[in-house]
Amino acid sequence: MAAPTAASLFFTCFKIGSLSFGGGLSGWIHREFVERHGWIDDEDFAAQLALAQMLPGANVVNLVIGFGERLRGPVGALACLGGFLLTPFFAVIGLASVMDLLAHSRGVEVMLEGVAFAAIGMLVVMCGKGVMRSRRNAEALLVTAGAAVAVGILGWSMLPVVLVLAPVSVALAARRVRRDG
Amino acid sequence: MDEDDLLALILVLLPLSLLSIGGGTAIIAELEGEIVRARQWITPHDFLQLFAVSRAAPGPGVMLATLIGWKMAGWEGAVLATLALFLPSSLLFYGVYRASNQHRAKRWHRVLREGLAPIGTGLMIAGVLAIMRISGGGGVSIGITLAAAAVLYHYSNVPPLAVILGGGCLHYGLWLVDFVV
Repeated sequence: MAAPTAASLFFTCFKIGSLSFGGGLSGWIHREFVERHGWIDDEDFAAQLALAQMLPGANVVNLVIGFGERLRGPVGALACLGGFLLTPFFAVIGLASVMDLLAHSRGVEVMLEGVAFAAIGMLVVMCGKGVMRSRRNAEALLVTAGAAVAVGILGWSMLPVVLVLAPVSVALAARRVRRDG
Repeated sequence: MDEDDLLALILVLLPLSLLSIGGGTAIIAELEGEIVRARQWITPHDFLQLFAVSRAAPGPGVMLATLIGWKMAGWEGAVLATLALFLPSSLLFYGVYRASNQHRAKRWHRVLREGLAPIGTGLMIAGVLAIMRISGGGGVSIGITLAAAAVLYHYSNVPPLAVILGGGCLHYGLWLVDFVV
């Protein structure tokens, strides 16, 4: 199969970025790159998703950068990144501008507050899933609690907290992986 | 807002890009601490609104940083904040992706992922606490948060956008009947 052009990568990512209301983006990316176009196979998708989740940055952004590089080199990576972020960039600013225009209306403010409360609920579910994944692992739970308390309750700056916790947590994970084989 | 503040915002965002473990949700607490509490560039009320907009619009949740730049310095701020938040993590991912052999590196991928994921979860919990603090933490806000979380947890096929818009409508309805001021 011929490799896709940079333009078709751009438009595919533009489409994914435009339709990605409220999350679930990696599902969309799988549908387009694996199922619809067959540019990437399932095993590669899983391996790249793991790498994208492991490194900092929005997972889905990392994912499309990796696919762009794989399929079309640096130009492909840029095409995917640009196409993917174009709609979200203008959409957030457009929506925020509309909210600014309506700022005098208490009703709109109230509605937006409700959106924020429900969006927190969405994050709560993600937190719960994260905790459940390490429920059998006291070390990982302690690391999670440490980060949450240090940054969220004591208000410590994130940089030193991560610089201390990350090596400790990765060393503990290395020991577990070695032990479990 | 002057040039110095814009530069200072970029200097806040650049390192956060490399600390966004597990995605943009990891840096919400730090953004709130730096930008709302320490430097008071944005009011808690505006931060809550921008958070709501970033969650209701398409795209990754880190577009919150784009909105902060936009609120502080218009289009220039939006573009620079977006670049500051996406470039460092994207370049890091690109470099690691090119340097690593996906199939041989599975073991250290797993170690890093298992080591870093609990930190990402802890930072996300910190973000939830930070946003709940500025949302006032009243009974109605917590109620909507928990209701949204329950719906998303039990019905995985409900679109997240419907749930957060539902939260907005519910809060608006409570305001109409004078339950919320």
